[in-house]
Amino acid sequence: MITPPYLKKGDTIGIVCPSGYLPAKKTTNCIQMLTSWGFRVKIGKTVGHQHHYFSGTDEERLADLQQMLDDKNIQAILCGRGGYGLSRLIDQLNFRQLKKYPKWIIGFSDITVLHAHLYRQVKMASLHAPMAAAFSKQDLTSVYTLQKALLGKKQIYTCAPHPFNRDGKITGPLIGGNLSLIAHLIGSPSALQTKGAILFLEDIGEYIYNIDRMLIQLKRSGVFDKLGGLIIGGFTDSKDTEIPFGESVTEVIRSQVQEYSFPVCFDFPVSHDTANVALKHGLPYVFSVSTRKISLKEA
Amino acid sequence: MAEDVAPAIQYLHNWGLQVVTGKTVGLKDHTFGGTDAERAADFQEMINRKDIKAILCARGGYGAVRIIDQLDFSPLKKYPKWIIGYSDITVFHSHLHAHVGMASLHAKMTEGFPTDPSLFEPVQLQALDTIRRALFGEPLQYSVPASTRNRLGEVEGILIGGNLKIIETLSATNSDIDTRNKIFFVEDVGEALYSIDRMFCNLKRSGKLSHLKALIVGSFSSIRPDDPQEPFGKTIYDIVWEQVKEFNYPVCFDFSVGHQKNNVALKCGVPHQLVVGEQASVLTQIQAG
Repeated sequence: MITPPYLKKGDTIGIVCPSGYLPAKKTTNCIQMLTSWGFRVKIGKTVGHQHHYFSGTDEERLADLQQMLDDKNIQAILCGRGGYGLSRLIDQLNFRQLKKYPKWIIGFSDITVLHAHLYRQVKMASLHAPMAAAFSKQDLTSVYTLQKALLGKKQIYTCAPHPFNRDGKITGPLIGGNLSLIAHLIGSPSALQTKGAILFLEDIGEYIYNIDRMLIQLKRSGVFDKLGGLIIGGFTDSKDTEIPFGESVTEVIRSQVQEYSFPVCFDFPVSHDTANVALKHGLPYVFSVSTRKISLKEA
Repeated sequence: MAEDVAPAIQYLHNWGLQVVTGKTVGLKDHTFGGTDAERAADFQEMINRKDIKAILCARGGYGAVRIIDQLDFSPLKKYPKWIIGYSDITVFHSHLHAHVGMASLHAKMTEGFPTDPSLFEPVQLQALDTIRRALFGEPLQYSVPASTRNRLGEVEGILIGGNLKIIETLSATNSDIDTRNKIFFVEDVGEALYSIDRMFCNLKRSGKLSHLKALIVGSFSSIRPDDPQEPFGKTIYDIVWEQVKEFNYPVCFDFSVGHQKNNVALKCGVPHQLVVGEQASVLTQIQAG
């Protein structure tokens, strides 16, 4: 796994929108804070640009991201927002320059496509972390974990015990992201290989029955067979059908993984909500779950 | 609910068929027709019984994938029977094709049968009658008006397909659909355009569009409205076309399959001829099955 160099003051972070449209004003706080951390910021053409739903045509979004990937003077790329759109571009991106000059790629949600592809095809670590909107929130705790991650400071994350947790301890590469996208990538060249890995999952606005269906897809395609550990983040604004599904999201997840023995923790701070700590996707972590203490630390 | 299947039973009687109602009809465990175990047991009994010649699923919804791995389909190899349904029942069509090699019937379910046939439009009654014709072995042929977005051509191949969302969620599982050299049809309901686009990306990226004989696009009904500030900006035609323009097989839009009144019976796993012409697209079954 290629680990891009950590950043130092004076380095440049590029901001791009490879998926949905992001109004330019929503990047103000983000740019201000990155600058206050001592970084320079380069704004891509797709920021504030709109083509219907997207932040540009496929060609525009592709060109902007490709330019950022190839630019030797940029040390990290922060994706402004997710939405939808990377699946349309991923096979057209060229990672040759990135392999020569690795850099951190930052984002979550639709950016899961990029993380998974980098892990599987480029074998490069990336940062599952807050995007532009998070910099305008009251609680900036998660945003500061991104700063620490970029500067190469190792972090230990914990969360409260949960009655559905399953004890255990495992060291393995940390991979994952948005459940809908991880399911969507199954069968494609960007699908995650999960043997021995610690998998984290979060999602937003999904029906409970659909979460069940996606977990069954993961199960039936072998994702859980040799998994090292499972971290369940937030399933924000989940929806139920008119006739209730009969189980909550956490109950659905517990049911689907009860036949395995890997450690599982719920309510980890990775989500579309405020709690969304920076996770180095693809790098080894130690994941430990016991009745009283849950921890995830870089190995 | 149990009384909801009464019209279908009456209809099937009129066709001269006898009906056995499964234990799960009218049963309810939250959103499901019974617990997983109850639904699997009911379906298994229908599979096992030699005196049952066809299984008509009452409705789709969600749940087939929760029981598919618990079912033993081996009795069907000796005593094949028609399994009828669509939407969530795509799980069965895909799995049967992969594991049993048995043809099945993509068609309306009991909820599509009328309490009072006089209230049904001719197109609905005709669609129901295609089930009768399929079950009694009458050859099937369907013609739909040409769409200007079609790609013309004439092919022969095994027909297979179903609900796009289900096909995506079966990807890389042991029920995955094998579309190679097939006439492949898809339909869906209630999805947002971005989600349909993403699913077509999955089809493309998992190789399911690369080696088709032809693609048939049914209805994509009740599309979830876009955010007015961010309309998706592409129609179904655009979405499909972008994914298939690099290939050269025929593409037929607006076919009469989907969550709509005109949802004709299609024999999955059976060879068909598809002619996508200037005036019309015609799908013809070319082998008794």
